[in-house]
Amino acid sequence: MLSRVASSLYWLSRYVERSDGILRMLKINYASSQDTIQEFTWTPVIRISSGGNEAEMSAIKNDSRSVIEYLLFNRDNPNSIINMITLARENARSVQEHIAKDLWQCLNEYYHTVKDPKLLWYVQKDDPVTALDILIKQVMLYYGTAGSIMERGEIRSFMSIGKYLERSIQSIDILDIKFISISNNPDLLTDTSYWQHLLLSLGGYELYLKSYRKGFEAENVLELVMLNNDFPRSAKYSVNNIHRYFERLKSDKNIEHYNKLSFNIGRLNSTITYSSVNSMKAEGLHPYLVKIRSELYGIGNLLNEYYFANA
Amino acid sequence: MNTINLNRYDQVSHTWDEMYIADNHLREQYHQIIRYLENESANDLNKKEELAKRLFMSQGITFTVYDSGEGIEKIFPFDIIPRIITCAEWAFIEKGIKQRLKALNLFLKDVYHNQFIIRDKVIPASLIYSCPHFLREMHQLNVPYDIYIHIAGIDLIRDFDGTFYVLEDNLRTPSGVSYMLENREITKRLFPDLLPQCKVRSVTEYPAILYKNLLSLSPRAVSNPTIVLLSPGMYNSAYYEHTTLARLMGVELVEGRDLIVKDQKVYMKTTTGLQQVDVIYRRVDDDFIDPLVFNPKSVLGVAGLMSAYRKGNVAIINATGNGVADDKAVYSYVPDMIKYYLNETPLLKNVPTYSLGNPDEKAYVFENMHKMVIKKTNESGGYGMLMGHAATEQEIENYKKEILKDPRNFIAQPTISLSTAPCYLDGMLQPRRVDLRPYALVGPDGISIVPGGLTRVALKEGSLVVNSSQGGGSKDTWVLAS
Repeated sequence: MLSRVASSLYWLSRYVERSDGILRMLKINYASSQDTIQEFTWTPVIRISSGGNEAEMSAIKNDSRSVIEYLLFNRDNPNSIINMITLARENARSVQEHIAKDLWQCLNEYYHTVKDPKLLWYVQKDDPVTALDILIKQVMLYYGTAGSIMERGEIRSFMSIGKYLERSIQSIDILDIKFISISNNPDLLTDTSYWQHLLLSLGGYELYLKSYRKGFEAENVLELVMLNNDFPRSAKYSVNNIHRYFERLKSDKNIEHYNKLSFNIGRLNSTITYSSVNSMKAEGLHPYLVKIRSELYGIGNLLNEYYFANA
Repeated sequence: MNTINLNRYDQVSHTWDEMYIADNHLREQYHQIIRYLENESANDLNKKEELAKRLFMSQGITFTVYDSGEGIEKIFPFDIIPRIITCAEWAFIEKGIKQRLKALNLFLKDVYHNQFIIRDKVIPASLIYSCPHFLREMHQLNVPYDIYIHIAGIDLIRDFDGTFYVLEDNLRTPSGVSYMLENREITKRLFPDLLPQCKVRSVTEYPAILYKNLLSLSPRAVSNPTIVLLSPGMYNSAYYEHTTLARLMGVELVEGRDLIVKDQKVYMKTTTGLQQVDVIYRRVDDDFIDPLVFNPKSVLGVAGLMSAYRKGNVAIINATGNGVADDKAVYSYVPDMIKYYLNETPLLKNVPTYSLGNPDEKAYVFENMHKMVIKKTNESGGYGMLMGHAATEQEIENYKKEILKDPRNFIAQPTISLSTAPCYLDGMLQPRRVDLRPYALVGPDGISIVPGGLTRVALKEGSLVVNSSQGGGSKDTWVLAS
């Protein structure tokens, strides 16, 4: 496969995954903003999901509609949904003949949906959740289409690596910011709805209820999001999948590069596997998360160098 | 309410209409579709039009207009009423194009080797050597099977009496074939069951034939040669077509930056290292294909590509240097070529062409500017032309000055009226001017032309220019089996 094509597949997949994460987070946080007697602050959400400037952000941080509008439609925010889907679509456009035609049409429709003025109207004047649901459905269509018709080869491997890399980075970012907020405001530690929302926005709420019977505790949340083998948004699950899909790229032609990158992915996998909640606490949660995140970035950089010919 | 009111169809005088004979009698090939349309209300037809637009949009068959920062995506105008060609008309067109391509291909081989046609004074040497598309780099270069023209999109028009004329040969990188394929796909959705009922011949074979031809051109005798389609990239207006063809043929779509030349061999950069490329179907013009030989500023091409080509390590489709055969001044010699190389009478007529490099012809043209269409010999897409019948005195004077700077660069043709075909516009059928571009594929086994093509239509009332860059649209083109 062409290096340029591999690179486009990887990035297209990262952008779609990122947009999915942001949309789900917005939906849950909007719900919780409607369910509180105190003033609801969007600051953590903005920090996790926006690349925009801080001053502009703090001006709107208590106004749900403005925040959603900013995160969905603002062209100056590099992580806005509209910017991400534009990039995903441009990447898809340049590899149209590799992804199935249906998948290209999914992304194309996703793009036209975001640009539909009706959507902005929902956010500004009507029910913002309707807008978010419409967009989330577009992502679901994308994943459904990809899952049911894409060939299981190199194409799928690069797309999956992008998806799981993005997902693990997102989960780690969310944890990091949530736990930093606790160190500033220890009351949150015992605030049930705080943990509930975190789990809901990651889609892990139901699994949590099934796995832990004693209510919401920070340590259990940490364990679920970092170490659970079966939770599709846990760091463990995502890194396992990066490993799995990367192994399929093994080929005699570039064995040297393969071995180097395989070593790094294996090391990261072991680091997570042989961690426990206690060891994370002993190391300091924030430094631990920073370490994992920089390992993930490192994998992205090596892919870029060895496989996308961008060295 | 019926939408098809025959009395409201306002035929243009002295013009061949594809649907009507005079006095509102329908030509036979249109009977069935008109019967079908008569049973549809205006509302139904408007819905079909909407559906067509939506299908184009959701498939991303769009081009972008940059107006105020953010681009606006538009679809190419598509008219839902097909243009219909009879079995007999098609048989004639097919024969005529094959004859023409045979001669043009022999001409290219000759002009880049022994130049008998110049020595025998059939074509003046000055005309060839002054053509900017005549490439010295092609001299004495042997191309596989002596095929230079692998893909041609010959533009045909019809005069008031229905006679077909060749307007242009398009032997370099003709585009639009994806519209032939897409228009048909859309028509299948718009008019369920109508295609088989009317016995319309299929066009879907095109990518398979092209692929087979590309495969046969591989210089390396390997079972699975690497074939690529070289595109200028996603900002090119025909990018959609490049991806469509690559997908339909299952070949790699590459850009110049994906390729590299080493030891006069072409490779593409892949995730598992370099992979040798055998056949390049390029959609990049000659000028940009190799910065070492042609335009040194080009980033669209591949440095060293021509050296690999000359060495015979890679096949390039179409061959470079074909521009000398579809130059608008050389065009007027095509009937002579047919006589010279094939000893046959040309089947398809040429539009009479005056070359302004010739002083007598120039004088004649200058006296009759209002009856002429004047074109630059090396421009396409409807740019830089003067339509004499619609131009003001001032425009004509300015254009004359332009001509005098470099007369060789211009040709003039009498205004041919172009036939009209019915279009569904503003809720009724209206006649608009059309042309026809069938796509011919030349391979070692001969010439194949899929029954169909691109019908371009000048959607503006009274306009004679069908180019999409000048407000033209397109139609599905039906060739009937019987």
